[in-house]
Amino acid sequence: MENTTFTPEESLLLITKTIEETKERFKENGHILVFWGTLIFIVFGSQLILSLLEFYKYTMYPVYLFPIGGIYMLYIWIKDKKQNKPKTIIGNILGNLGWVVGMNLMIMGFIFSGKLGEAMAPVFLILFALFIIVCGLTIKFKPLTIGGVLLNLIALGSFFLDRDYHGFSMMLGALVGLIIPGLLLNIARRKAYV
Amino acid sequence: MFKNLDPILHSQLRLSIVSILMSVDEANFNFIKDETQATSGNISIQIKKLQDAGYIKVKKSFRNNYPNTSLSITKKGIEAFENYVSILKNYINPK
Repeated sequence: MENTTFTPEESLLLITKTIEETKERFKENGHILVFWGTLIFIVFGSQLILSLLEFYKYTMYPVYLFPIGGIYMLYIWIKDKKQNKPKTIIGNILGNLGWVVGMNLMIMGFIFSGKLGEAMAPVFLILFALFIIVCGLTIKFKPLTIGGVLLNLIALGSFFLDRDYHGFSMMLGALVGLIIPGLLLNIARRKAYV
Repeated sequence: MFKNLDPILHSQLRLSIVSILMSVDEANFNFIKDETQATSGNISIQIKKLQDAGYIKVKKSFRNNYPNTSLSITKKGIEAFENYVSILKNYINPK
């Protein structure tokens, strides 16, 4: 790029183009949403299958996939830091919110599951819904907001369900609120670069 | 009567740098270089001019044993940019 002066029209065009391109580059991608959605789907799907097969003793084991997911997130975070990616205010807010919600979910799941009892799954889903709705509204991506609202409704509906069916709620919530919006976000992002 | 455009901002490379910094919280030198496709020497000179004008803040540090230069826009820079855009709009659509 040369350091020349130019007309007001060219100037305004350059500003608009630069800001749009920079913002586009840092649009959140759906990879992390799809990852957590799939993990939740697998964990609760496996628990359901183990229960159906009457292997009740082993139903807790799939839950240990969550800390592994946490380690993967830590790896992503370190990788991003090393790449010297520019910091965006929105990215920082969403990243911090993700960590706070994630840590609370882990603590609730591993320490307070007994105290929460039947409310465990709905509360778990409400926290996820909160994160998804905030993400959707912040990055102005409607499928994510809609997915979050549906997830919130599933969560509230789960209060009326028997605990035995909460696994289904979790799987449906993961599909509607995380996997599908995440895939749509990836498609939208790819289209923006074509 | 048209107001004069800020000569610090009315140059292609300096305006690009400031536009990038308006959309991020903080960016490093290499990112600016990738985005603007300008040479390191040219970017350094323009950064110095913007820094001298008080429009950007430059933070030098080390990351993984390599020098790292982080840039961010200052309050004065934001005001100058907004003022520049408003004058530009006046040039394009005079009332």
